[in-house]
Amino acid sequence: MPRISNALIRHARSIDKLLPPLLRPCRELRAAQNELRWLREHAAKVASTRNAKVRDTLLRNLVLERAKGKPLQYLLGSEYFGDLQITCRPGVLIPRQETAASVAYLARLVRQAEELPPELRVLDLCTGTGCIPLLFHDELAATRKDVRSRYLGIDISRDAVHLAHYNLQKVWRQKAYADKSVTAFVQADVLIDPFDDQNAGMPCFKAALNHYRQPPFWDILISNPPYISPSGYWSTTTRSVRLFEPELALLPPPNPDASDTERGDVFYPRLLSIAQHVEAKVVLLEVADLDQAHRVARLAQDADFFDGIEVWRDWPDQPNDAEPVELDGFPVIGQGNGRYVLCWRAQGAPWLGKDVVAKAETEPLSHYSLQPTFIYRPPSKIPL
Amino acid sequence: MTVAPWICRSCLSRISRPLIRQRLRYQSTAACKVSTSESISPALLARARSIAREHKGLADKLANGFDARSAKKLGEHGGVVSTLKEWEKANESLRELTSLIHDPTTDPELLSLASEDLATTRTQLADASQSLTTSLVPVHPFAHLPCLIELRPGAGGSEAAIFAGDLLRMYQAFCNRNNFRATLLKYENADGTTEAGVPLSEAILEVESGGAYGLFRCEAGVHRVQRVPATETKGRTHTSAVSVLVLPSVQENSLGEEDFEDPESDYYIDPKEVRVDVMRARGAGGQHVNTTESAVRLTHMPTNTVVAIQDARSQPKNKEKAWRLLRSRLAQARREKREEEMAAIRRSVVGVAKMGRGDKVRTYNWGQQRVTDHRSGTTVHDLDDVMEGGQTLDKVMESVRSWLMERDVEAMIAEETDAKK
Ligand SMILES: C[S@@+](CC[C@H](N)C(=O)[O-])C[C@H]1O[C@@H](n2cnc3c(N)ncnc32)[C@H](O)[C@@H]1O
Repeated sequence: MPRISNALIRHARSIDKLLPPLLRPCRELRAAQNELRWLREHAAKVASTRNAKVRDTLLRNLVLERAKGKPLQYLLGSEYFGDLQITCRPGVLIPRQETAASVAYLARLVRQAEELPPELRVLDLCTGTGCIPLLFHDELAATRKDVRSRYLGIDISRDAVHLAHYNLQKVWRQKAYADKSVTAFVQADVLIDPFDDQNAGMPCFKAALNHYRQPPFWDILISNPPYISPSGYWSTTTRSVRLFEPELALLPPPNPDASDTERGDVFYPRLLSIAQHVEAKVVLLEVADLDQAHRVARLAQDADFFDGIEVWRDWPDQPNDAEPVELDGFPVIGQGNGRYVLCWRAQGAPWLGKDVVAKAETEPLSHYSLQPTFIYRPPSKIPL
Repeated sequence: MTVAPWICRSCLSRISRPLIRQRLRYQSTAACKVSTSESISPALLARARSIAREHKGLADKLANGFDARSAKKLGEHGGVVSTLKEWEKANESLRELTSLIHDPTTDPELLSLASEDLATTRTQLADASQSLTTSLVPVHPFAHLPCLIELRPGAGGSEAAIFAGDLLRMYQAFCNRNNFRATLLKYENADGTTEAGVPLSEAILEVESGGAYGLFRCEAGVHRVQRVPATETKGRTHTSAVSVLVLPSVQENSLGEEDFEDPESDYYIDPKEVRVDVMRARGAGGQHVNTTESAVRLTHMPTNTVVAIQDARSQPKNKEKAWRLLRSRLAQARREKREEEMAAIRRSVVGVAKMGRGDKVRTYNWGQQRVTDHRSGTTVHDLDDVMEGGQTLDKVMESVRSWLMERDVEAMIAEETDAKK
């Protein structure tokens, strides 16, 4: 990373002596000025009843912590995710703008669909702060008062599940929603194979569904799992992420037999198999870049379960203005880095405004399945 | 290349619209006095008479069967017609009285009665002229909207920036005193605080109350300050300037959805013509970085209009603000363009001053403790009260509104004369 020039530091100092330390994490003057304003507002709010001296000391301490790389979101205790203010605490990953962009985009596609199931079910694996189901619901409820929806967020971390519950309470109180949607957050390990009875500690995904009396079938599956490979961790993540955000949220667990790339991809085969088990009609998986998007899209294709697959960049609502516009036959939409893989089955196509016939066009004949694509969905009163 | 199509569409095809709109909306109250004279311009009078004739025709038509459009028009013209009647009555009695007084054969008793009546009839005529004028003068089509006041320091370096801050506080205090809801949409100064005396680089104040645009549009233009700056060691008086831009502010509910969707509207923007840039995280994005960048920049490509907002931590909030600002700016540009074309039509009229960015409109002089508005020619001496947004400011603003209304009347008369040619 290029050094910050002395001229810039001097200029920043002439504006405010608290600015130069903020240049270190922010790199740019404009960004540092914004952060200083937000920190100042925060200090004023926290210390409103005390005297100016307390406030100044507080501000100075905040600036010093920020200069050491502590994320602003942990210092202020929140991050904006779409329209929602999500509480953040050290130990749980800070929600990212790119995640919000794609989740909101998906929800906006779905809410335009003419016909939706009487209860739309959305499963979020590796939920962290719970931001994804909360935003999906917020977007859906904004225009579709007629749709009841159900959300389940799952995470291995106790802190994350606690925080997700807290955010659920807070957002519902703030937004005063009037619909009858249900949201639950549950602790479970999505990597454990449900058919392997060997595990004793953390419940697997399926056991958690049973234990918490959650339905076995889900319409939409979203996940932003840990996806960074060990080499990517050291070369691509910023210092602030490495020093202050939980490794558990970023790096898939070590495995002596796996290559560097394989380790980054550990979650995807599991997520796709859960998608099949819960008979998801639409699946949206976050990835690190176009290369990983490509690998995950191929994996989804090989599962021979989906009728359409495409890749979304960071800002899927923007027109794609950069190569490639297609990866190996998978359309690439939006602007920015490769960020999401979207897979859908024929029943989910109309929710996305897609034509149902995608499969015959994009896949070679050998993949063509003679089985009917419609799958019988048992009534939900069958005991779990 | 891309300039031609939209200018043609937006300006030339829209040029006829404000005329129609203006004809439909007239001053409903005589809030601002145009003049106290009993005379009324012949052109305005002719116009009132032609309206009255049309009115009669419509009434006849209605007698033969109901027609919603005629009925509506009839209602709109009713006010003009009845005021015209009053005016004609007063005018008639004035003529009778005058001829009585000038007639040498009039007996003395009658003469003294007539002279007594003359005074009251004169006031009646003046009042009727006044209300006839107001009922004919168009209300600005956006007068009912909230507004955005944008302040930017001009010539004069940091003193201009300090004065921009003073003006901002003046408008805030004015709003506060009058119970208008005002919020800072954008505030930028050197160090990101809102402390007094800190040089300001740009501020946008939104006055959310209805009718604010009608009230504040007279504030647009260059405001000049003459004083000894705090930083001046030799005691010399400096002259600096701040430019004030006033835009009608459009929120979804103030115009109704259809105005955003309607390609004929000034506020319509084709989303395909706008490039949205969000400040991206450097590098890989996603889980790799936890950036706080939330800035949004919108570029309207055909006109190269750029707005950038970065105040809020929430990106959608910034985007929403940016769209609001872009709509207001483009609508203003389209209106100005159209007004220029109309000004060409009214070229015969001298003295129709355009209120825009370029003109020096007001001077605040500290040494003489006075404020002079160069349009209305009004000077007040309670500078402090003006700067505190007090009633003296009301007085100045009111004088400009009257002046503006006179200009509008002149312009309209010019139009009438033009139409006759
Ligand atoms: C990248 S974070 C995503 C958080 C959140 N969905 C978001 O977008 O901000 C990944 C999350 O996965 C959780 N996690 C890691 N391993 C897991 C596992 N085996 N089973 C379930 N959750 C896991 C972590 O605790 C972390 O909260």
